[in-house]
Amino acid sequence: MILIALTLLAPLLGGLLLPLLRFRSRKARAWYVEAVTLLTSALAAALCFTHPTEELHIIRIMTPFELVLRVDGLSRVFTGLIAFFWPLATLYAFEYMAHENRENAFFAYYTLSYAATLGISMAANLFSLYVFYECLTLATLPLVSHKRDVRSIHAGRRYLFYSLSGAALAFVGVMVLSRFGAGLDFVLGGKLNGLASRNLTLLRVVFVLSFVGFSVKAAMFPLYAWLPMASVAPTPVTALLHAVAVVNAGAYACMRLVYYCYGADFLRGTWAQGIVLCLAAFTIVFGSAMAVREQHFKRRLAYSTVSNLSYILLGVTLMTPAGMTGAMTHMVSHGLMKITLFYCAGAVLVKTGQEYVQDLRGFGKVMPFTFAVFTLASLALIGVPPLSGFLSKWNLLTAAAETGAWYGTVGIAALIVSAILTAIYLMSVVISAYFRPLNPELASLGEANHDPTWRMKVPFVVICCAIVAMGLNGAAVTAWLSDIANGLI
Amino acid sequence: MHILLPALVFLPMLGALISYLIGRKSKPGRNAFVCVLLTAECLLAVLGIYQAILGRELTFTWEGFAGLGLHFRLDGFRALYTLVAAFMWMMTGFFSPQYFAHYHNRNRYYFFTLMTLGATAGVFLSDDLYTTFIFFEIMSFTSYTWVAHEETPGAMRAAETYLGIAVVGGMVTLMGLFMLWHKLGSLAFADLQKAGETLDAKELYLPGALVMFGFAAKAGMFPLHIWLPKAHPVAPAPASALLSGVLTKAGIFGVLVTSCNLFLHNGAWGNVVLALGVATMFGGALLAMFSVDLKRTLACSSMSQIGFILVGVGMQCLLGHHNALAVQGTLLHMVNHSLIKLCLFMAAGAVYMNLHKLDLNDIRGFGRNKIVLHIAFLMGALGISGVPLWNGYISKSLLHESILEYVELLHEQGLSAAWYSATEWIFVITGGMTFSYMLKLYFALFWEKNAARQEEFDGMRKGYLRPLSIFALLGAALILPALGMLPSILMTGIAELGQGFMHGESPAHAVAYFSEENLIGAAKSLVIGAALYLGVIRPFLMEKREGARVYVNRWPAWLDLENIFIRSDFTQKYVCGCITAVSRFLDNLATSKFFYVIVPAIITAVTRCLDELMDSVAVLLSGTVLSKKKTPHLPPVGTRVTYYLGCALNAVARFLNRTVLRRHPLHTDFEYRLDVDKHEAGQTLGMLTRSVSFGLLLMSVGLFITCWYLLK
Repeated sequence: MILIALTLLAPLLGGLLLPLLRFRSRKARAWYVEAVTLLTSALAAALCFTHPTEELHIIRIMTPFELVLRVDGLSRVFTGLIAFFWPLATLYAFEYMAHENRENAFFAYYTLSYAATLGISMAANLFSLYVFYECLTLATLPLVSHKRDVRSIHAGRRYLFYSLSGAALAFVGVMVLSRFGAGLDFVLGGKLNGLASRNLTLLRVVFVLSFVGFSVKAAMFPLYAWLPMASVAPTPVTALLHAVAVVNAGAYACMRLVYYCYGADFLRGTWAQGIVLCLAAFTIVFGSAMAVREQHFKRRLAYSTVSNLSYILLGVTLMTPAGMTGAMTHMVSHGLMKITLFYCAGAVLVKTGQEYVQDLRGFGKVMPFTFAVFTLASLALIGVPPLSGFLSKWNLLTAAAETGAWYGTVGIAALIVSAILTAIYLMSVVISAYFRPLNPELASLGEANHDPTWRMKVPFVVICCAIVAMGLNGAAVTAWLSDIANGLI
Repeated sequence: MHILLPALVFLPMLGALISYLIGRKSKPGRNAFVCVLLTAECLLAVLGIYQAILGRELTFTWEGFAGLGLHFRLDGFRALYTLVAAFMWMMTGFFSPQYFAHYHNRNRYYFFTLMTLGATAGVFLSDDLYTTFIFFEIMSFTSYTWVAHEETPGAMRAAETYLGIAVVGGMVTLMGLFMLWHKLGSLAFADLQKAGETLDAKELYLPGALVMFGFAAKAGMFPLHIWLPKAHPVAPAPASALLSGVLTKAGIFGVLVTSCNLFLHNGAWGNVVLALGVATMFGGALLAMFSVDLKRTLACSSMSQIGFILVGVGMQCLLGHHNALAVQGTLLHMVNHSLIKLCLFMAAGAVYMNLHKLDLNDIRGFGRNKIVLHIAFLMGALGISGVPLWNGYISKSLLHESILEYVELLHEQGLSAAWYSATEWIFVITGGMTFSYMLKLYFALFWEKNAARQEEFDGMRKGYLRPLSIFALLGAALILPALGMLPSILMTGIAELGQGFMHGESPAHAVAYFSEENLIGAAKSLVIGAALYLGVIRPFLMEKREGARVYVNRWPAWLDLENIFIRSDFTQKYVCGCITAVSRFLDNLATSKFFYVIVPAIITAVTRCLDELMDSVAVLLSGTVLSKKKTPHLPPVGTRVTYYLGCALNAVARFLNRTVLRRHPLHTDFEYRLDVDKHEAGQTLGMLTRSVSFGLLLMSVGLFITCWYLLK
């Protein structure tokens, strides 16, 4: 119990103290932030390994509305994921943020978002999840608008607008479930009370509403437009928050809603499932198609995130344990791959200032290390075996086929089409980087190696190893996640 | 569990990294390292085939690798094909240092070549389709760099097509795999065979066809061949040899796995494969006859030979338990084609590295008086044309025999065999076409004189090949007649080694390779070939220009399937245009004023209407229908406290009315009043608790406004 409290308090206090402290140099602040993040990650890792069963009751507003934290199987996956990424991302951010100003504010909010994300991952009931979800919106908003120019403020405003309206929809779900559920606590398989059987239509309508509400953060069509716009934020934000933490928090909330509140059995085969699944399947194809069209490097990756997050949502909406396993696998592996891709885009942006795909011709020689990493991550995202992306796609496909229903076929078709589109939008970058001559206007870049320093390289290497390792140990990973999905852990 | 199998796969991959690192320091060091590594790999493969000859089957399993685990097995066929692959890599490795002497990006080439070797070995050693697929995909991606190596616009375009077909093929295969896995719960080859025997074939056709799609695309089967005549010629010659000789066979491996396990002895499947095989065989030969580019001719010829192999695969399925000849023919033709193409592409490489040209009009006469090149090319040409005493003759005869056998079988059963007789004729004619286009190349290179540069060519007699290259070229060339002249020792041995994999029966009696029937078949082909050369190629595909006869490309450009279907205006403009327009519309929709202004406005209006509606209904009802009716009013019931307090207050009031307030007496019934008050208080409290949600909503709106104000 004390461990849970410490895990949450460390980044919270660390972030709140940051504006009050006066640092003598950038380096001192860097050490401070890295220390706080590492401490939190160490605590979170300890939580994942020991996973205490007792709960931490923070505050009770009234009977069902309580802030409670607990660590169960699904929490362990998400907590472990973010605990792995945050210190690496912070390390990367130090070098990146050297060319931005107001670092104090940036790192304060950056650390606070860590606390909010941890809160989401450890929430023990839907109300706590909702509260931390709102906190995350507010903590990340200043990060999106960090540059304070017109575009970023516009993007931030849109992000806020979308997130709050999504949360409002989700709030309806919280209220309805407080009446029809036996408490708001997360129980695998869900627990609805006796009233539920007489109000099926209401519950299904509200389910669709709250699913759409939570999936705003996971950028599901039609409420995805904030994500590509938010790529104006500094790359550490787009990489960590908009490829891993925030968007996965949305998918995670959907997972909780489906499997732990309503229960998959209650929803399977209903029109409500049909609607959300078709939305997810459509977003998969749509996101990839938009990514093919997009020429701005970071926006292309953002559209790719739109598509890939819906892979996770597709797994969630299959409403089977296998689907949930697939969703969790893709949550982890997509996090690994996408953060790498964004880091490469960020490294290119910082070191050479190029933002558009057509300017990256011949960059394989300008930034050999970066593009080697980019190629590996691209292949993984396309789903080339034996890298991690293949594992997650395989799990998703298997889950979709196991349902044996029409919507499984829809899912499979969407996945296959999207895989081809993924190959197009990523390989075109890789190929032009390696096989096309350098843009003559940028010839001066060709003279030296523009790879970033070790602070950026360490995250690259660590995550690449993780991508390969996850692919190679696929069976173990799948078995563990499937135990979680079946409630064995 | 045997360490030899993973060593065959992962040694080259490890070597790729090392060669890259060495290559950054020293080029000759890297070349030497690569040659040594490839020789070592070849020796390992020899060790493997030695085990297979002793009749041992080695297996290796890596549980849990990438989900379903890796499963390798080394039986006769796999050992044989691993050896062929390793041998070809070694020979091209010896040839490469000279070929690449003036190339850029050599480190990249060697790195990916070694990676591809590892992946190819993985394909050939795999024991379940999952393992096959993993290494097949790696192979597709790493071999992309070969096609794109020259980085010219033509090469980039061909590479684009190559990658496109590989990715689409891979995805389709994956889908098939996954349907199979879903149906059978296993992808091991043995289980596929069991499933083929027990399950209804109709259920397996779709997954089987999907699985075969990707492999057939790599093999260059019609109509998925479009990448092949473009990609093979633009790759560097050693890579072309490997693409033609080995990578297409990796595709055939997949075709065999489906056809010889899942659809073993399935006639309907056999007919489809046979039809596609005939189309591939004939189409490839036709393209080759029309081609005026040395490497393109060889590439089209590869496609045609793949067609021969597919015919063999189809015949295996059709012949059922009589498949001995078809199995042996297929297997031997695979091996023969690999070795022949190794020799021919290296010979083409020898031409290209000296002249940097491939057009027949530019290179004609180059081979005059160059004895090594002449021998190498001649051996290859004779081999592929099916001339007796060279190896191609053996396998083509077996394939031909198998068709005849099926025709006879049908006659015995009293069924019509017209289709198969026609197939046999096409087979013979295609054999003739093979001979004719090889004659065209041979005469152009070695007998005709070049009008402009003949003296220069004659001057290149010395030094056009380095000793190591000569060794590679002659080594590859002299195997061919050796195999062809000692068929009952070498060929039968090879065939027996590999037939278990395809579930072939042993032939009833030893095959007489040089029987009268076979020799007549070969003679027919050769006569047709010579006639085609004299009657079609020389009069129609050459014309007189400025006093000299030159080769002209009469193949109509619009007949390019890729241009018709994939890169046509129709596809580019309409299909892609539609997709773009729709996605742009949806994107704009989501970010447009529509979502910001109109939708909220509509929602507001609707909700307001609903709100007003409810209110007005209530007002209306209370004013009209419900106004007269006195609802039965239940008096509120208080608690004990309110009762006693009320009674006490009533008593006090009575007392006061009598005394102080005589003029204005109080008429309130305090007991009732207290009951009502208590009830109202309870209701108000309930309302307050219920509106916490309202408060929260207000709070978020407040936060929103604050943030908006701050950010504005």
